[in-house]
Amino acid sequence: MPRLSQVITKSSLLTALLVVSAFSCLGQSTTGTVTMSATVSKFVEINSGGAVTLSGNSGGGVTTDGVTNSPLAVSINLGELGPSNTNNFVSAQVPLKLRSNAAYVLSMTATVTSSGSTASRIGAADVGFGLGTISRTGLGVNAGADTNATSGDPTLAANGSVNGTTGRYEFTAVRSNLNAFSSATTALSGPIIMNAVPRSNTNGLTVPAFFAVKPQFFENGTTTISVTFTVTAP
Amino acid sequence: MRLRPFIFSLFTALILIAAAQTISAQALDISSGGQATITGVVNGSVTGSASVLNDLIVTVNFGEVSPLNTNSIVKVVVPIALRSNQPYQVSVSVSGLNNGNAQALQALDIGFGLQNIRKLGGAGQDCTQSTHIIRSPFDNDPALNATVGSNGRVSYTSALVNISGSTIILSGPVLSKNNSTKRQLSDGFVFDAIFALTPQFFAAGVSSATLIFTISPGPNVPC
Repeated sequence: MPRLSQVITKSSLLTALLVVSAFSCLGQSTTGTVTMSATVSKFVEINSGGAVTLSGNSGGGVTTDGVTNSPLAVSINLGELGPSNTNNFVSAQVPLKLRSNAAYVLSMTATVTSSGSTASRIGAADVGFGLGTISRTGLGVNAGADTNATSGDPTLAANGSVNGTTGRYEFTAVRSNLNAFSSATTALSGPIIMNAVPRSNTNGLTVPAFFAVKPQFFENGTTTISVTFTVTAP
Repeated sequence: MRLRPFIFSLFTALILIAAAQTISAQALDISSGGQATITGVVNGSVTGSASVLNDLIVTVNFGEVSPLNTNSIVKVVVPIALRSNQPYQVSVSVSGLNNGNAQALQALDIGFGLQNIRKLGGAGQDCTQSTHIIRSPFDNDPALNATVGSNGRVSYTSALVNISGSTIILSGPVLSKNNSTKRQLSDGFVFDAIFALTPQFFAAGVSSATLIFTISPGPNVPC
């Protein structure tokens, strides 16, 4: 009998534990949790800032124009660059638009190829380049100071002159011609461009890119100038 | 004398059973209300049990919310089930999102609202004298009420920034017909907690937040 009593006792306790466990499994709760996370990666983009302005040209024209907020892919025929073009410069102004949620660097790579074979052919040093006035305006655009690594409009008197020895016109200021951009070289840099606004906000940083050629007694032939802009968030 | 241990054990068992029933027969319960969903997402997800018998434990990853995500909005719908045999209220608290940079993701950037209060599994207590009330300003779908503010930033009718401490978001009369001691597939109510986040030029980084929903006895309204 004592043994029977012990068995019954243990069985009862086991039953009680099982019952408690069972009810615990069915247990209700008065709280619930929602955990959330989100990622914001660095973002930069370059687009066209608008239509190209071509001046001082003789013949030629804008083959593929820039369209505001569309990918930058313009094509320009500078026309005649020999002495028959009596203008001081053939100049093209290409508006750029940059946007970023981080500090940015705009670099540029340029190649110039001419059909000529002598030193008088058009070369990279004969193509003036510079970035103009930087504008950070519009709703959602962050105020900030940018660093223009170029010398601005290459047609400015301060940025070039006739070489007293060779007589050839040269763009002499810092990074004022495409020879300075034979490999990826910084042209512009600055802090975050956009505040927390949606992509549908079309504002951004705008800056004109100037290209200029002084008509001279270049070796006759054709020249192709290719420029690639790249913006990064280092 | 030999029966004393048996009797003692029996009483112990009965007391434990009674205690267990008291614990399990909670009048208030919150659980998963079904499968949570996410739309407009890039490299994100939402995970949680689809069973209304399971606890509410949902993990939302909004994914990429910089302009790299070209969708207009990332929307998450989290169904939440409620059961009670008495008037109730639901409150929520939020922690996290302590970005010091004002241009980084903030609590005001995550829209939050409640919609679609409905019976759980088609069954629940029908009350004619009181209604379930979504507290202001949360009675909206934030994904449908996102507007661009005067500073160019997207704002919502209600957002996580409207949660201060433990904020009551919903209250009403008794929810369940049966005084069940366990969760059932029906006999309660479900509402959708909706979260919305518009990809923007936020300052880069990773953000996180935790929301705790709590059901408790509410204002003593008649059924």
